[in-house]
Amino acid sequence: MPEADHSRREVLVAGGAALAAAAAAPLLTGVRDAFAQAGDDESILRAALNLEVTAATVYQRSQSQLGGIARLFRNQERQHATALAAALRLLGGKPSATIDRNLMGGLAAASSRRARAQFCINLENTAVRAYEDAHRNLRDARTMQVVTTILGNQAQHLVVLRQIAGRPAVPGAFERGRS
Amino acid sequence: LDVDRRRFLTVAGLGFAGGAATLVAGCGGNKQNKGTGPIAGEKPQSPSPEPAESDVADSTVLNAALDLENQAVAFYTQAMKALTGANLRAVRNFRDHERAHAAVLSRAIKGMGRTPDAASKSYRFPRLPTQDDILRYAIRIENGQIGHYIDALPRLNTGSARAEVASIFATEAEHLAVLNGQLRERSAPTAFVTGQGVG
Repeated sequence: MPEADHSRREVLVAGGAALAAAAAAPLLTGVRDAFAQAGDDESILRAALNLEVTAATVYQRSQSQLGGIARLFRNQERQHATALAAALRLLGGKPSATIDRNLMGGLAAASSRRARAQFCINLENTAVRAYEDAHRNLRDARTMQVVTTILGNQAQHLVVLRQIAGRPAVPGAFERGRS
Repeated sequence: LDVDRRRFLTVAGLGFAGGAATLVAGCGGNKQNKGTGPIAGEKPQSPSPEPAESDVADSTVLNAALDLENQAVAFYTQAMKALTGANLRAVRNFRDHERAHAAVLSRAIKGMGRTPDAASKSYRFPRLPTQDDILRYAIRIENGQIGHYIDALPRLNTGSARAEVASIFATEAEHLAVLNGQLRERSAPTAFVTGQGVG
Protein backbone atom coordinates (compact mmCIF):
# COMPACT_ATOMS: atom_id res chain seq x y z
CA MET A 1 0.00 0.00 0.00
CA PRO A 2 1.66 3.26 -1.06
CA GLU A 3 0.00 5.17 1.76
CA ALA A 4 1.25 2.78 4.38
CA ASP A 5 4.72 3.05 2.90
CA HIS A 6 4.41 6.77 3.00
CA SER A 7 3.41 6.71 6.65
CA ARG A 8 6.42 4.59 7.49
CA ARG A 9 8.69 6.98 5.62
CA GLU A 10 7.27 9.89 7.57
CA VAL A 11 8.07 8.13 10.79
CA LEU A 12 11.67 7.63 9.74
CA VAL A 13 12.04 11.24 8.74
CA ALA A 14 10.39 12.69 11.79
CA GLY A 15 12.27 10.51 14.22
CA GLY A 16 11.22 8.46 17.19
CA ALA A 17 9.13 11.20 18.77
CA ALA A 18 6.66 10.88 15.93
CA LEU A 19 6.11 7.17 16.40
CA ALA A 20 3.02 7.62 18.49
CA ALA A 21 1.52 10.00 16.00
CA ALA A 22 2.29 7.71 13.11
CA ALA A 23 0.63 4.82 14.88
CA ALA A 24 -2.66 6.52 14.11
CA ALA A 25 -1.92 6.64 10.37
CA PRO A 26 -3.96 3.55 9.39
CA LEU A 27 -6.94 4.96 11.23
CA LEU A 28 -6.51 8.29 9.50
CA THR A 29 -6.39 6.50 6.18
CA GLY A 30 -9.65 4.86 7.14
CA VAL A 31 -11.29 8.26 7.52
CA ARG A 32 -10.06 9.29 4.14
CA ASP A 33 -11.55 6.14 2.68
CA ALA A 34 -14.83 6.88 4.41
CA PHE A 35 -14.77 10.28 2.73
CA ALA A 36 -14.06 8.78 -0.64
CA GLN A 37 -16.72 6.12 -0.22
CA ALA A 38 -19.37 8.65 0.75
CA GLY A 39 -21.63 8.53 -2.25
CA ASP A 40 -23.51 11.79 -2.07
CA ASP A 41 -22.92 15.35 -0.98
CA GLU A 42 -24.74 14.87 2.30
CA SER A 43 -22.60 11.88 3.26
CA ILE A 44 -19.42 13.74 2.36
CA LEU A 45 -20.48 16.70 4.48
CA ARG A 46 -21.29 14.45 7.44
CA ALA A 47 -17.86 12.80 7.23
CA ALA A 48 -16.21 16.22 6.92
CA LEU A 49 -18.13 17.49 9.92
CA ASN A 50 -16.90 14.61 12.07
CA LEU A 51 -13.34 15.25 10.93
CA GLU A 52 -13.53 18.97 11.71
CA VAL A 53 -15.01 18.42 15.16
CA THR A 54 -12.30 15.87 15.89
CA ALA A 55 -9.60 18.26 14.64
CA ALA A 56 -10.97 21.03 16.84
CA THR A 57 -10.73 18.69 19.80
CA VAL A 58 -7.16 17.75 18.94
CA TYR A 59 -6.14 21.41 18.82
CA GLN A 60 -8.05 22.10 22.02
CA ARG A 61 -5.85 19.49 23.66
CA SER A 62 -2.67 20.76 22.02
CA GLN A 63 -2.53 24.19 23.59
CA SER A 64 0.25 23.38 26.01
CA GLN A 65 2.47 22.18 23.14
CA LEU A 66 1.44 24.56 20.34
CA GLY A 67 0.19 27.58 22.27
CA GLY A 68 -1.63 30.29 20.32
CA ILE A 69 -1.37 28.31 17.08
CA ALA A 70 -3.48 25.56 18.64
CA ARG A 71 -6.12 28.06 19.74
CA LEU A 72 -6.21 29.73 16.33
CA PHE A 73 -6.50 26.43 14.48
CA ARG A 74 -9.10 25.10 16.94
CA ASN A 75 -11.23 28.16 16.27
CA GLN A 76 -10.80 27.78 12.53
CA GLU A 77 -11.77 24.10 12.64
CA ARG A 78 -14.87 25.09 14.57
CA GLN A 79 -15.69 27.66 11.89
CA HIS A 80 -15.29 24.96 9.27
CA ALA A 81 -17.70 22.76 11.20
CA THR A 82 -20.22 25.59 11.38
CA ALA A 83 -19.97 26.20 7.64
CA LEU A 84 -20.28 22.49 6.85
CA ALA A 85 -23.33 22.24 9.08
CA ALA A 86 -24.87 25.21 7.26
CA ALA A 87 -24.14 23.57 3.92
CA LEU A 88 -25.68 20.34 5.16
CA ARG A 89 -28.84 22.17 6.21
CA LEU A 90 -29.06 23.73 2.75
CA LEU A 91 -29.12 20.24 1.31
CA GLY A 92 -31.95 19.32 3.66
CA GLY A 93 -29.79 17.40 6.10
CA LYS A 94 -29.76 17.59 9.87
CA PRO A 95 -26.22 18.24 11.12
CA SER A 96 -24.78 16.08 13.84
CA ALA A 97 -21.15 15.45 14.59
CA THR A 98 -19.25 12.80 16.45
CA ILE A 99 -15.70 13.04 17.70
CA ASP A 100 -13.75 10.15 16.25
CA ARG A 101 -11.76 8.83 19.20
CA ASN A 102 -9.77 6.57 16.91
CA LEU A 103 -8.31 9.62 15.19
CA MET A 104 -7.00 10.81 18.52
CA GLY A 105 -5.06 7.63 19.26
CA GLY A 106 -1.49 8.47 20.12
CA LEU A 107 -2.24 12.09 20.86
CA ALA A 108 -1.12 11.98 24.48
CA ALA A 109 2.12 10.22 23.57
CA ALA A 110 3.02 13.04 21.17
CA SER A 111 3.94 15.24 24.09
CA SER A 112 6.73 17.45 22.78
CA ARG A 113 6.02 20.50 20.62
CA ARG A 114 7.60 18.87 17.59
CA ALA A 115 5.87 15.52 18.08
CA ARG A 116 2.51 17.22 18.57
CA ALA A 117 3.08 19.24 15.40
CA GLN A 118 3.81 15.99 13.56
CA PHE A 119 0.63 14.43 14.93
CA CYS A 120 -1.33 17.42 13.66
CA ILE A 121 0.46 17.24 10.30
CA ASN A 122 -0.82 13.68 9.92
CA LEU A 123 -4.32 14.84 10.79
CA GLU A 124 -4.19 17.81 8.41
CA ASN A 125 -2.77 15.61 5.65
CA THR A 126 -5.76 13.34 6.12
CA ALA A 127 -8.06 16.33 5.81
CA VAL A 128 -6.34 17.59 2.67
CA ARG A 129 -6.56 14.19 1.00
CA ALA A 130 -10.18 13.82 2.02
CA TYR A 131 -11.19 17.24 0.76
CA GLU A 132 -9.34 16.78 -2.51
CA ASP A 133 -11.04 13.43 -2.98
CA ALA A 134 -14.35 15.07 -2.19
CA HIS A 135 -13.89 17.31 -5.23
CA ARG A 136 -14.20 14.21 -7.40
CA ASN A 137 -17.64 13.36 -6.12
CA LEU A 138 -19.38 16.50 -4.90
CA ARG A 139 -22.20 17.55 -7.17
CA ASP A 140 -23.49 20.78 -5.69
CA ALA A 141 -21.41 23.79 -6.70
CA ARG A 142 -22.00 25.78 -3.52
CA THR A 143 -21.05 22.81 -1.38
CA MET A 144 -17.92 22.35 -3.42
CA GLN A 145 -16.93 25.98 -2.91
CA VAL A 146 -17.33 25.64 0.84
CA VAL A 147 -15.11 22.58 0.75
CA THR A 148 -12.54 24.32 -1.48
CA THR A 149 -12.11 27.28 0.85
CA ILE A 150 -11.73 24.94 3.82
CA LEU A 151 -9.16 22.87 1.91
CA GLY A 152 -7.10 26.03 1.44
CA ASN A 153 -7.08 26.71 5.15
CA GLN A 154 -6.08 23.14 6.01
CA ALA A 155 -3.19 23.47 3.59
CA GLN A 156 -2.15 26.67 5.34
CA HIS A 157 -2.24 24.83 8.67
CA LEU A 158 0.19 22.36 7.15
CA VAL A 159 2.61 25.17 6.33
CA VAL A 160 2.66 26.38 9.92
CA LEU A 161 2.91 22.90 11.41
CA ARG A 162 5.70 21.88 9.03
CA GLN A 163 7.66 24.95 10.07
CA ILE A 164 7.25 23.96 13.73
CA ALA A 165 8.34 20.42 12.88
CA GLY A 166 11.39 21.74 11.03
CA ARG A 167 10.26 20.57 7.63
CA PRO A 168 9.95 22.39 4.28
CA ALA A 169 6.84 24.56 4.38
CA VAL A 170 5.71 23.83 0.81
CA PRO A 171 7.52 20.70 -0.27
CA GLY A 172 5.94 20.27 -3.68
CA ALA A 173 3.99 21.96 -6.46
CA PHE A 174 0.93 19.82 -5.84
CA GLU A 175 -0.33 19.57 -2.28
CA ARG A 176 -1.83 16.13 -2.00
CA GLY A 177 -1.62 15.66 1.74
CA ARG A 178 1.25 13.21 1.56
CA SER A 179 4.16 15.06 3.13
CA LEU B 1 -17.68 35.03 -11.37
CA ASP B 2 -17.49 37.41 -8.45
CA VAL B 3 -21.25 37.13 -8.16
CA ASP B 4 -20.93 33.38 -7.77
CA ARG B 5 -18.41 33.74 -4.99
CA ARG B 6 -20.42 36.44 -3.25
CA ARG B 7 -23.49 34.21 -3.30
CA PHE B 8 -21.49 31.30 -1.91
CA LEU B 9 -20.02 33.39 0.88
CA THR B 10 -23.44 34.65 1.81
CA VAL B 11 -25.04 31.24 1.68
CA ALA B 12 -22.27 29.73 3.77
CA GLY B 13 -22.78 32.43 6.38
CA LEU B 14 -19.25 33.69 5.97
CA GLY B 15 -20.09 37.27 5.12
CA PHE B 16 -18.62 38.97 2.10
CA ALA B 17 -15.49 41.02 2.31
CA GLY B 18 -15.64 42.40 -1.20
CA GLY B 19 -13.61 45.29 -2.51
CA ALA B 20 -10.31 43.50 -2.81
CA ALA B 21 -8.90 43.82 -6.27
CA THR B 22 -8.02 40.57 -7.92
CA LEU B 23 -6.23 39.78 -11.09
CA VAL B 24 -8.80 37.28 -12.22
CA ALA B 25 -9.25 37.64 -15.92
CA GLY B 26 -12.34 35.45 -16.12
CA CYS B 27 -12.62 31.80 -16.82
CA GLY B 28 -13.93 31.76 -20.29
CA GLY B 29 -17.63 32.28 -19.89
CA ASN B 30 -18.58 28.65 -19.99
CA LYS B 31 -22.33 28.74 -20.29
CA GLN B 32 -22.80 25.04 -19.74
CA ASN B 33 -21.87 25.19 -16.09
CA LYS B 34 -22.95 28.28 -14.28
CA GLY B 35 -21.48 27.38 -10.92
CA THR B 36 -24.80 26.83 -9.19
CA GLY B 37 -26.80 23.74 -8.45
CA PRO B 38 -25.67 20.36 -9.68
CA ILE B 39 -22.20 20.25 -11.08
CA ALA B 40 -21.59 19.60 -14.71
CA GLY B 41 -25.16 18.83 -15.57
CA GLU B 42 -25.24 15.92 -13.14
CA LYS B 43 -22.99 13.83 -15.28
CA PRO B 44 -21.84 10.65 -13.60
CA GLN B 45 -18.16 10.62 -12.70
CA SER B 46 -16.54 7.69 -14.39
CA PRO B 47 -13.07 6.78 -15.56
CA SER B 48 -14.23 6.73 -19.15
CA PRO B 49 -13.59 9.79 -21.31
CA GLU B 50 -16.15 12.53 -21.12
CA PRO B 51 -18.01 13.51 -24.29
CA ALA B 52 -16.17 15.97 -26.52
CA GLU B 53 -18.38 18.92 -25.64
CA SER B 54 -17.49 18.69 -21.96
CA ASP B 55 -13.79 18.59 -22.83
CA VAL B 56 -14.22 21.88 -24.65
CA ALA B 57 -15.67 23.43 -21.51
CA ASP B 58 -12.90 22.06 -19.29
CA SER B 59 -10.22 23.25 -21.66
CA THR B 60 -11.66 26.76 -21.58
CA VAL B 61 -11.61 26.80 -17.80
CA LEU B 62 -8.09 25.36 -17.68
CA ASN B 63 -6.78 27.81 -20.28
CA ALA B 64 -7.90 30.70 -18.09
CA ALA B 65 -6.05 29.10 -15.18
CA LEU B 66 -3.00 28.62 -17.40
CA ASP B 67 -2.95 32.33 -18.19
CA LEU B 68 -2.82 33.13 -14.49
CA GLU B 69 -0.10 30.56 -13.87
CA ASN B 70 2.00 32.03 -16.69
CA GLN B 71 1.52 35.48 -15.25
CA ALA B 72 2.66 34.22 -11.84
CA VAL B 73 5.76 32.62 -13.39
CA ALA B 74 6.59 35.94 -15.06
CA PHE B 75 6.07 37.89 -11.85
CA TYR B 76 8.13 35.58 -9.68
CA THR B 77 10.91 35.47 -12.27
CA GLN B 78 11.06 39.25 -12.24
CA ALA B 79 10.75 39.41 -8.45
CA MET B 80 13.74 37.13 -7.99
CA LYS B 81 15.99 39.90 -9.33
CA ALA B 82 15.10 42.15 -6.39
CA LEU B 83 14.68 39.73 -3.50
CA THR B 84 17.29 38.33 -1.15
CA GLY B 85 17.66 35.67 1.51
CA ALA B 86 14.54 33.81 2.66
CA ASN B 87 12.32 35.93 0.40
CA LEU B 88 14.35 34.93 -2.62
CA ARG B 89 14.36 31.26 -1.65
CA ALA B 90 10.60 31.25 -1.18
CA VAL B 91 9.86 33.02 -4.43
CA ARG B 92 12.22 30.81 -6.41
CA ASN B 93 10.37 27.81 -5.02
CA PHE B 94 7.03 29.34 -5.91
CA ARG B 95 8.20 30.16 -9.44
CA ASP B 96 9.10 26.52 -9.92
CA HIS B 97 5.72 25.44 -8.56
CA GLU B 98 3.85 27.78 -10.90
CA ARG B 99 5.86 26.42 -13.81
CA ALA B 100 4.88 22.91 -12.80
CA HIS B 101 1.24 23.96 -12.60
CA ALA B 102 1.43 25.53 -16.05
CA ALA B 103 3.01 22.38 -17.46
CA VAL B 104 0.30 20.14 -16.00
CA LEU B 105 -2.49 22.42 -17.17
CA SER B 106 -0.96 22.57 -20.66
CA ARG B 107 -0.76 18.79 -20.81
CA ALA B 108 -4.34 18.47 -19.63
CA ILE B 109 -5.56 20.91 -22.27
CA LYS B 110 -3.64 19.09 -24.97
CA GLY B 111 -5.11 15.83 -23.70
CA MET B 112 -8.53 17.29 -24.40
CA GLY B 113 -7.51 17.91 -27.99
CA ARG B 114 -7.24 21.65 -27.49
CA THR B 115 -4.37 24.10 -27.78
CA PRO B 116 -3.01 25.65 -24.57
CA ASP B 117 -2.87 29.42 -24.66
CA ALA B 118 0.68 30.65 -25.08
CA ALA B 119 2.19 32.80 -22.37
CA SER B 120 2.24 36.49 -23.15
CA LYS B 121 5.58 37.76 -24.44
CA SER B 122 5.59 40.38 -21.72
CA TYR B 123 3.61 41.09 -18.59
CA ARG B 124 3.39 44.52 -17.02
CA PHE B 125 3.76 44.84 -13.29
CA PRO B 126 3.89 48.01 -11.20
CA ARG B 127 7.14 49.38 -9.82
CA LEU B 128 7.63 47.79 -6.42
CA PRO B 129 10.38 49.59 -4.51
CA THR B 130 10.79 47.37 -1.46
CA GLN B 131 10.90 43.64 -0.80
CA ASP B 132 7.72 43.93 1.25
CA ASP B 133 6.01 45.65 -1.68
CA ILE B 134 6.97 42.74 -3.88
CA LEU B 135 5.65 40.21 -1.38
CA ARG B 136 2.38 42.13 -1.06
CA TYR B 137 1.98 42.14 -4.81
CA ALA B 138 2.73 38.43 -4.81
CA ILE B 139 -0.19 38.03 -2.42
CA ARG B 140 -2.40 39.79 -4.96
CA ILE B 141 -1.19 37.40 -7.65
CA GLU B 142 -1.87 34.38 -5.44
CA ASN B 143 -5.27 35.68 -4.39
CA GLY B 144 -6.14 36.16 -8.05
CA GLN B 145 -5.31 32.54 -8.73
CA ILE B 146 -7.15 31.34 -5.65
CA GLY B 147 -10.28 33.29 -6.57
CA HIS B 148 -10.14 31.86 -10.05
CA TYR B 149 -9.76 28.28 -8.87
CA ILE B 150 -12.66 28.60 -6.41
CA ASP B 151 -14.87 29.74 -9.27
CA ALA B 152 -13.42 27.28 -11.76
CA LEU B 153 -13.59 24.05 -9.78
CA PRO B 154 -17.37 23.58 -9.95
CA ARG B 155 -17.23 24.28 -13.67
CA LEU B 156 -14.92 21.39 -14.42
CA ASN B 157 -16.76 18.38 -15.74
CA THR B 158 -14.46 15.57 -14.72
CA GLY B 159 -13.75 14.48 -11.17
CA SER B 160 -10.09 13.78 -11.90
CA ALA B 161 -9.58 17.29 -13.28
CA ARG B 162 -11.22 18.76 -10.21
CA ALA B 163 -9.00 16.75 -7.86
CA GLU B 164 -5.88 17.83 -9.75
CA VAL B 165 -6.91 21.48 -9.75
CA ALA B 166 -7.77 21.22 -6.05
CA SER B 167 -4.19 20.13 -5.36
CA ILE B 168 -2.94 23.20 -7.26
CA PHE B 169 -5.36 25.40 -5.36
CA ALA B 170 -4.09 24.02 -2.05
CA THR B 171 -0.52 24.84 -3.06
CA GLU B 172 -1.47 28.42 -3.92
CA ALA B 173 -3.05 28.71 -0.47
CA GLU B 174 0.24 27.50 1.00
CA HIS B 175 2.15 30.11 -0.98
CA LEU B 176 -0.15 32.69 0.53
CA ALA B 177 0.62 31.39 4.02
CA VAL B 178 4.36 31.64 3.43
CA LEU B 179 4.06 35.15 1.98
CA ASN B 180 1.98 36.23 4.98
CA GLY B 181 4.66 34.84 7.26
CA GLN B 182 7.45 36.60 5.37
CA LEU B 183 5.53 39.84 5.92
CA ARG B 184 5.48 39.07 9.65
CA GLU B 185 1.75 38.49 9.60
CA ARG B 186 -0.35 35.48 10.52
CA SER B 187 0.24 32.68 8.04
CA ALA B 188 -3.33 31.38 8.23
CA PRO B 189 -5.33 34.44 9.23
CA THR B 190 -8.81 33.27 8.26
CA ALA B 191 -10.66 29.96 8.37
CA PHE B 192 -11.64 30.16 4.71
CA VAL B 193 -9.22 30.86 1.89
CA THR B 194 -11.36 32.81 -0.53
CA GLY B 195 -8.92 34.92 -2.53
CA GLN B 196 -10.47 38.03 -1.06
CA GLY B 197 -8.30 40.36 0.96
CA VAL B 198 -6.29 38.56 3.60
CA GLY B 199 -6.18 34.82 3.80
